[in-house]
Amino acid sequence: MQEVIQERFKISPFLVIYMVLSMQIGIGVLGFQRIIAEDAGHDAWISVLVAGASLHIIMWMIYKINESVNGDIVTAHEFIAGKWVGKILSSIFIAYFLLLALTVVRTYVEVIQVWMFTDINLWWFSVCFFLICIYIIYGGFRTVVGISFFSFVFHIYLYPIFFFNLQYAQWNHLTPIFENSIKDILLGSFHMSLTFIGFEVILFFYPFIKEPQKSKKWAHFGLFLTTIGNTILMIISIVYFSKDQLAKSIWPTLTMWKIVKLPFVERFEYIGIGTWSLVILPNVCITIWIASRLLKRIINIKQKHGVIYIVIAMSIAINFIDTREKVSLLNDYTGLAGFGVTFIYIPLLFIILMIMKKVKKK
Amino acid sequence: MKNIFLVFLSLFLLAGCVQERIIDEINIEVGSAFDAIDEENFTGAFLIQDYLPDKSIKDIVYQSTASLRRDLMMNIQKQSSKEIFNGGLLITIFGNKLADTGIIDFVDTYQREPSIGARNYLATSSGSAIDIIRGEYGPQGTSNYLFNLIEHNIQRRDVPRTNLHIFLRDYYKKGKDPYLPELTKKGENELEISGISVFKEDREAYVIPQNKMFFFKLMVDKHSQGSFRVHIGKNRDADVESISSKYRLKLVGKSKEGANHVSIHIKIRGMIKEFTGKRLDQKEVNKIEKKLQKIVERECLKLLKTFQEKGVDPVGFGYLHRSKIRGFNVDNWEKDYPNLTFDVKCNVTIVETGVIE
Repeated sequence: MQEVIQERFKISPFLVIYMVLSMQIGIGVLGFQRIIAEDAGHDAWISVLVAGASLHIIMWMIYKINESVNGDIVTAHEFIAGKWVGKILSSIFIAYFLLLALTVVRTYVEVIQVWMFTDINLWWFSVCFFLICIYIIYGGFRTVVGISFFSFVFHIYLYPIFFFNLQYAQWNHLTPIFENSIKDILLGSFHMSLTFIGFEVILFFYPFIKEPQKSKKWAHFGLFLTTIGNTILMIISIVYFSKDQLAKSIWPTLTMWKIVKLPFVERFEYIGIGTWSLVILPNVCITIWIASRLLKRIINIKQKHGVIYIVIAMSIAINFIDTREKVSLLNDYTGLAGFGVTFIYIPLLFIILMIMKKVKKK
Repeated sequence: MKNIFLVFLSLFLLAGCVQERIIDEINIEVGSAFDAIDEENFTGAFLIQDYLPDKSIKDIVYQSTASLRRDLMMNIQKQSSKEIFNGGLLITIFGNKLADTGIIDFVDTYQREPSIGARNYLATSSGSAIDIIRGEYGPQGTSNYLFNLIEHNIQRRDVPRTNLHIFLRDYYKKGKDPYLPELTKKGENELEISGISVFKEDREAYVIPQNKMFFFKLMVDKHSQGSFRVHIGKNRDADVESISSKYRLKLVGKSKEGANHVSIHIKIRGMIKEFTGKRLDQKEVNKIEKKLQKIVERECLKLLKTFQEKGVDPVGFGYLHRSKIRGFNVDNWEKDYPNLTFDVKCNVTIVETGVIE
């Protein structure tokens, strides 16, 4: 049932950190602050911290699931539900990852449309983008991981830029700490899910990791880094904007770049948005790779063919999301789906799997 | 071979996908001014720079009337030979009447438009704003002149730090009122910063006169290179320069119903650069320090009382309450503000007295 992955297709355990980082840093980072602050006010950074901390438990469960069946989620599904039901369960995830890729590309095109080129053609841009993705995925899983490493290295220079905003910091925006109720703060944590989802990809490429035991600490370290990064970004946004102003900005991260002036560039957001295409590239590549891998595992078609089918489906689907309202709706649904998968489905799978293991042993 | 063909094909397909903006073929709006005509209509002027071959700048002003800022843009596009883009905006001036009736509609456009940066300056004028933008202020161009005028007064003199972002931040902050520098035309081609307009919501409610700007900046911003003249007696004047200052607001008493007390601590460090008198010894220096302390304490308190009378809160006492008192409701602040009491404590240190004794 479980195919054996050849050693030459596998990746070193430390590379898992780049997979986690590039999946978690996506389109959500450009605009999560407003949604969290709507619930938790000036305590929103606590929400981010709480959400981040809870991810470590889920990550622990993901590794437990993989270890107990020594394979990916498809193996786990077949173990608990048998061959056919297992396959149906797994195929739901094809839709989930297509939704993720679609959301990322569509939201990014919207950012370009609003901030840079109003008349950029949605379809042409997405098709070109998908063509690059096909090219990368044809290079194999190791190339996909390589791209996520590169994208991390290439966009890391954007983060020190936020210190420009600290010149305008009003630290009394943060006090009094814990003024908002715990319920509001947790609601903020819930809305944080769109930004934080993505790390569950480990469930799918686990068999590709050499010595997976060693990759655990890297996966957790990756989660830790994004949590700290997002918390700092949230704090900077709170001290930079006043509350009602933040509630009005759809992309606070981009609005924050508007104040930056460097000797060689008058307005930084154009550079930031351009660089962001490198950030979403591995994001889309990984999701399409997983969707095509699932196709291969479930209905046994060649992965190279699967990728083409997926891209064709997405190129058609993306045309239907043409207004700001629909993009926003798409984001909401994806966030909800992500929350469902990460915080409900994975723990459920974990519990069922553990019980089944116990029963079968007896 | 097939791959190379594909690369070339995509080059041709992708080129010209979006609208191009060649710098020689567009007009960049660098400044604008708005004056109210009546309740509904206003006159607006856009300043555009034309770069002449000898590297000098020619200012062109397009003017039109409208009732919406978008309409104005459309009317003015009809006058311009090239399309106007507003990405290079440096300064916007609001005329006296317009500032009295509210400016947020204009500022809201700026916030909505992604091409407008957050660093550009807003200012009010004591007369007509369009007169100011039509003036000739030298070869650097009007917008550069106005921008630099405000910038150097922020960095080295008595204008507290301001720009589009700060104005919007304070406007949307409950318990703090925004402020902008006010420009006044002195002669045909002369201009000065004549005060600070303090807004109540988006309406100008009070103008801090020029000679009080120093004290206002002490309470809302840091001085980095200010200067102030202290008169200590007959024929004895001292010019305290390179003033750097810090301020701290402390809330005494934390009742939710208001009637609290705020004490303001101001720390000033400066140098004496000019002195007219007999001898500048330590005793004299101490005298100057004491005198400056007294002036600052008296004038700041006076200014705060005026703010209270006018019902404006540019220092942000309401926000101070919100940030220090758990569960404080800023919406009732207007009622509590008149009952607030203050004291100002100032500490002056003169660090240097120049190169001679």
